[in-house]
Amino acid sequence: MIQRLLAICLLTVRAAFRYRLVVVMAILLIGGVIVLPIVIKDDGTARGFTQIVLTYTLALITTLLGFVTIWLACGSMAREIEDAQMQMVAVKPIARWEIWIGKWLGILTLNAMLLGVSAAAVFVLMQWKARHLSPNEQEILQTEVLVARGEARPPEVDYKRVAEQLLQERLKTPAGKTITNVAAFRLTAQQQVKAELETVRKDYGKQWKIDLSKQMWDLKDVPMHLRLKFNVAEDNLSSQYNLEMEVGDPADGDTRVWRTGEIKLPNDVYSEITIPANVFNAKGELFIRIANRNDTAILFPLEDGITILYRQGGFLGNFSRGIAIIFCWLGFLAALGLMAASFLSFNVAAFFALGVLLVGLSSGTLKQIVEEGGITGVNHESGVTENPAFLDKIAVPVAHAFLGVLGMIKNFSPIDSLSSGRTITWSELGRAVFQIWMIMAGILMAIGIYTFTRRELATAQGTS
Amino acid sequence: MSLESLTQPEAGRAAPASGKGDVVVAVRGLTKVFKDFWGRPKARAVDNVNFEVRRGEVFGLLGPNGSGKSTTVKMLLGLLYPTNGHIEVFGKSPRHVKTKAMIGYLPEESYLYRYLDSDETLDFFGNLFSIPQEQRAGRREQLLEMVGLAKARRRQVGEFSKGMQRRIGLAQALINDPDLVILDEPTAGMDPLGCREVKDLIVALARRGKTVILSSHLLADVEDVCDRVVIYYGGKIQAAGTLKDLLATPDQLRITTPILPRETIERVLEIVRKDVSEDRVRIDTPTQNLESYFLGVVQRAKQSEETSGATSGNRVAAYLRGDADAPQVRADKVLERLTLPTAAAAPEVVATVVEQKPLPNEKLQQFTRVEPTPAASPSIEKPSAEKLEKANEKLSGLLGKK
Repeated sequence: MIQRLLAICLLTVRAAFRYRLVVVMAILLIGGVIVLPIVIKDDGTARGFTQIVLTYTLALITTLLGFVTIWLACGSMAREIEDAQMQMVAVKPIARWEIWIGKWLGILTLNAMLLGVSAAAVFVLMQWKARHLSPNEQEILQTEVLVARGEARPPEVDYKRVAEQLLQERLKTPAGKTITNVAAFRLTAQQQVKAELETVRKDYGKQWKIDLSKQMWDLKDVPMHLRLKFNVAEDNLSSQYNLEMEVGDPADGDTRVWRTGEIKLPNDVYSEITIPANVFNAKGELFIRIANRNDTAILFPLEDGITILYRQGGFLGNFSRGIAIIFCWLGFLAALGLMAASFLSFNVAAFFALGVLLVGLSSGTLKQIVEEGGITGVNHESGVTENPAFLDKIAVPVAHAFLGVLGMIKNFSPIDSLSSGRTITWSELGRAVFQIWMIMAGILMAIGIYTFTRRELATAQGTS
Repeated sequence: MSLESLTQPEAGRAAPASGKGDVVVAVRGLTKVFKDFWGRPKARAVDNVNFEVRRGEVFGLLGPNGSGKSTTVKMLLGLLYPTNGHIEVFGKSPRHVKTKAMIGYLPEESYLYRYLDSDETLDFFGNLFSIPQEQRAGRREQLLEMVGLAKARRRQVGEFSKGMQRRIGLAQALINDPDLVILDEPTAGMDPLGCREVKDLIVALARRGKTVILSSHLLADVEDVCDRVVIYYGGKIQAAGTLKDLLATPDQLRITTPILPRETIERVLEIVRKDVSEDRVRIDTPTQNLESYFLGVVQRAKQSEETSGATSGNRVAAYLRGDADAPQVRADKVLERLTLPTAAAAPEVVATVVEQKPLPNEKLQQFTRVEPTPAASPSIEKPSAEKLEKANEKLSGLLGKK
């Protein structure tokens, strides 16, 4: 079996080389990696440098390889069926599933080569171009980007449960009995609870508690970073806002307390502040207090408003794991293309696969459908569908299902993690392999192999 | 020549279908109806076909375009699925993977990978048969030599002429030393040399006990090699049987002799005229067929000329040849014809007698009792065309007088 699988795998690789696809792609990828930072100049800061050299180039590589993978997968299968070459293979003692898997492995091999070469180019370019930054920015780069940092957040608050609790209490009251649109009221309640949890009013403060008990022994004498992001109720001209921060446990006399004084930070972007070592108490609890010194309220998003980042490892390992997750995505796209080509002609299969890809990238629309409860008759004041039609009753669960499926693939952000120096753990990589390959690509594989096995290859022959 | 030799099978060949030999392919009630997207019947390509192919025979599928031959072949290979009926190849379904290990297939068109060269093509298909590397390398060498593409091993298949593509296609069909070889128009696009070699190969395979299923429009090629044929039309089998049974004309008799003196011919005619009227007797000089003549010319030219095209005349690959000392049959007769002195190809006189029933034995005995005259020896000089024409005129005159 291995011999047959490798024969098909090698044939697929050989075809890509003989048709010059590999050479052209290598030139495009490496050219893009080199040319992009030249064309788009960074602002001289570590952040700007990272944005262009790492984020943009990795996004370019992922996009290019993604499209080529779908094209190659569709062509490799559909064209061979149409040109009857597949008949010459199918009459040999090789099972249809072996042919399918062999082609998938061949495309993965090509992706591994191209992704490896272009990722190596990005890595080398980063190291080389980093030398041209100022010493201060280089320091920031080394401590905040070219590193693998673990993160810790305040415990998640289930605001929906809290809102539901309040809703049920309200419904029991005489005033609550007059509520006609419970769904709209529920949504409003959730938004209000969330806002209460996120908002820090003018001249008020808020405290967050982060549990570092599992990491405290590794973090002894190790400085950390506080990564925060906030929105404001009313913008000012400068987009800079005054905050006062205090980190530590004042009730614990043995714990150091660190204060920033009043500082200015921009809104709606991530800001990182270095926190000195040993500011958590003996239980590993870290207290962060932020006071609002502005004329307007500020909101810290529940999901990622406050994050503590600490060094866990080096950049090379992290970078490799990030590239491996991208490789998992490409494997999924290869399965998608091969599945489509198992029963469709080349043109239709490519169109179908690209269409699925675009739908997947448009998950924001699906999310909106779920949040609004439908696609027709959305009340723009309440933001929900007040009288769901039959179409809405179908659209919402379908969108929910799609989101659940897409989430298995999209819930990984390796490029984002690498740009912000966050650790991509081995368990995250393992989860990516399991969800993207075993489950999602596995489902496509099963569909593709089944349809390919049942297909009468001699009827698919094109006329020439 | 005795009467018995008219009916005995040729020595050295496996017994054709006379009920002997295992059944390699069994087709029962086979029907194939092509349907459109909505499942409505569009075309009935094969309609209730039944036949068996036994081990060691060369079986021909004949029929005009669109008669169902290729559809049948594709169902035998599992590329199409029957609408009704049953197919067994080596006792199993054609789609069974292990069955395919014993089959070699040459399609009508070249469906090979254009970007692979000859070596890579054979290596790839060899890998699909899980042939070990050393054995694969040895077979590649032998096959490329056999099909005359050893010098073109590094050229991509996409650069080949049609004939060369057929040759490499034939080679890949034999890489696994198959027990069943299915050839769809194997000689299409080949020069006469190549055609001859393919036919020799088919005979060699059959001699080794391999089974060959041959689908062809070229009836002369089918006639040369096949034991049994079926003739398709409209998806149905219209005729089936051994070539001898199908092609025999039982109401005629042919006697072939060396050149005879005029007096002997006159005596023969006198005896024959007692049973047959003159207008039903024909005497002419047999001719060799164009293929044999062509092969002779090329063989002689090979001694002194070079070619940049496909080479030929190479031996069948050793692993396909099997026992090299097996009795010589038709293939070697052709080779003998190309290499023996001209005297072996001395013209012969053929007397064709139209007869409703076989001649009585005593008539034949009269011929054997006649002693050959010195003028009938092989060393006699071949008469010129003018002399032959004069002799014919005189004979015609003799018959006319009667």
